[in-house]
Amino acid sequence: MVTTYIRRAYSSFVAHVFDIPARLLAFLLFLTLLFIPFAIQNTYYLRILILANVLAIFAVSWDFLVGRTGQISLGHAIFFGIGGYITALLSSSKFFGLPIFLTIPIAILAACIIALALGIPSLRVKGPYLALVTMSFPLILAALLKWYPLNHIFKGEFGIRGLPALVPRLDWMTIGQQRVGEYYVTLILLFAASVILYKIANSKIGLVFVSILDDELASKACGINVTKYKLMGFMISGLFGALAGCIQTHLLRFANPPMFALTLSFLPVIVTFLGGLGTIYGPIVGAYIYYILDSYVLRDWLPRFLKETVGVTLPPEFDFAKLLIFTLIVLILVIKLPRGIAKFTTDKLGDLEEARDLDERGPRIWKTYKKKEKTTSTGSEPTASS
Amino acid sequence: MIEEILVYGAISGGMYALLALGFTLIYGVSGVVNLAHGSFFMVGTYLFYVFGISGFFSLIPLTLLDPTWGPLAALILAIAFTGVISAALYRIIIHPVLGDEIGVMVVTVSLALIIQQLILMIFGPPNLRINPLVTGSKQIWGLGVTNMRLLAFGVSLILFIVLWIFTNKSKVGNAMRAVSQDREAAMLMGINTERLYMLTMALSAMLAAAAGVFITASITEYAAPWIWLHPLALSFSIVILGGLGSIKGSLLGGFIVGYAEQAVAIGVPEGGSIISIVPFTVMVIVLLLRPKGLFGKRIEMED
Repeated sequence: MVTTYIRRAYSSFVAHVFDIPARLLAFLLFLTLLFIPFAIQNTYYLRILILANVLAIFAVSWDFLVGRTGQISLGHAIFFGIGGYITALLSSSKFFGLPIFLTIPIAILAACIIALALGIPSLRVKGPYLALVTMSFPLILAALLKWYPLNHIFKGEFGIRGLPALVPRLDWMTIGQQRVGEYYVTLILLFAASVILYKIANSKIGLVFVSILDDELASKACGINVTKYKLMGFMISGLFGALAGCIQTHLLRFANPPMFALTLSFLPVIVTFLGGLGTIYGPIVGAYIYYILDSYVLRDWLPRFLKETVGVTLPPEFDFAKLLIFTLIVLILVIKLPRGIAKFTTDKLGDLEEARDLDERGPRIWKTYKKKEKTTSTGSEPTASS
Repeated sequence: MIEEILVYGAISGGMYALLALGFTLIYGVSGVVNLAHGSFFMVGTYLFYVFGISGFFSLIPLTLLDPTWGPLAALILAIAFTGVISAALYRIIIHPVLGDEIGVMVVTVSLALIIQQLILMIFGPPNLRINPLVTGSKQIWGLGVTNMRLLAFGVSLILFIVLWIFTNKSKVGNAMRAVSQDREAAMLMGINTERLYMLTMALSAMLAAAAGVFITASITEYAAPWIWLHPLALSFSIVILGGLGSIKGSLLGGFIVGYAEQAVAIGVPEGGSIISIVPFTVMVIVLLLRPKGLFGKRIEMED
């Protein structure tokens, strides 16, 4: 009995995952992410991957807003910062000292409500107006946080420090074990966020979003309440953006005004374009590429490699070249490969899939379905007769 | 107090209007939201530093004739070089993604970051001092105003009027207005839109560079690799509150923001530290009342 279930699950898995190259690739990448802490013992490398997970959540939420609902926001850092600051204020031992499993949900909900409040005025404008208006929100908040009369609350440029950690370090834990814990927490949250957003994007609501993206006037004529759905998109996106902010705050254990910086608003944009806009999985790939390229290849591997093989020590100015090289790569990709790396790969794999002889794959899937049909029909026989 | 707001506000307002004019010009003609506008401001300032202050020009005997020509030559060269650079960058980088709204923004943001990193690599992070072109000061309504600020105010107003006449009377200006109204019809009438876009980009970047030199030489008096952020924020908020693509709007918006900044700096406790949010606040208030800005229609320049 159990073995038949297992066999059926296995064969349907084979038919739905192993037979489609894009899904197989995604599955293998997921497995790699799941088991990476066993292969990497270096805490610095783990730290890079943890931060890549956080950036991936943030970029996925931006991608949902822009790629799926078509509202260009260049100020996504506002959700990141609001989430981070609210959970910082609530959990800091100097203010409320609440536990983080309470403060993070509160912060996310608060950010959701703030997204609604910001969305109502800013959604009256469209296109480039909307992009530039949203770009100004985090800048306003960052300046207010540094305003002297509010310094006793927000501590100005210094920020709120000494917060509880995301994964508290127990007595028996080494730093490495704490990092592994943090890695799995962020990975699970990333997985949950992307699955939820993917499900929303492919649900009825997602269809409405796509129709608004394609033609707002036509959707209005079809009786869709465009403003309601736009606000909904804004709130969903803000929710996950705030989640990323909360996680980062408790990972680094401080919240400071650079969380609202313009660069943080631009980072998800760049990362999403690197992976592929409107795909949900694209930004994840992009975030990993960004962190691996920036923090591993250019900061760690390249100087070591040059030193060991060529004997050249890089000058300190090379520090500034890292962002330069990364941005150049993005620029070339956006111009030459506007769909992004991940989207390009899946499209290529999809072409491969179509080109393959369907006769070979068809019977196998058919076989699985037939088996399922047979078992269900035998199972439902008594009810059918009665 | 009123005099202070009026005098200082008008002086910075004139320069802000010049800065915003470039942003609105390129948007009005080609629909490009140029997030690298602040970078051209910075490039102009740094080129002015290279040509004028770092002693580059003392090598050339021509300026030995009369030392006062040095800064002026540096100013003109800086503006011209920025124009050439921006036209080349437009052709290489922005042109391939033209028409894709988000793509243009991503590309220009990347461009801005690249320029910032290049300047960091060449000049390093410390602030560079930019000296005023002229020294001395005058009394206006009992307030001391440096000659440099007066010069900057005068030149920005003159440039503004020249631009106004250029877009309304000259043949190229007519072509620009035609393209901004209907691109395809303008192409059918034999206007080379590609060349026109490049020209507009160069013009817009030159305005940014001029504003850069005047603002840094008269108000802040230093150049640093992150001075592109604030001008970018200023120009887009002014342009939006005036209406994207409207020259009149950018003039009015520049002055509104200039006065509002001074009013906040003087009237609000510790106002100097939140001065950077004034343009945004004004912009949000205006947008709440008029979602298209003061003079904004769709992509259009007034005639």
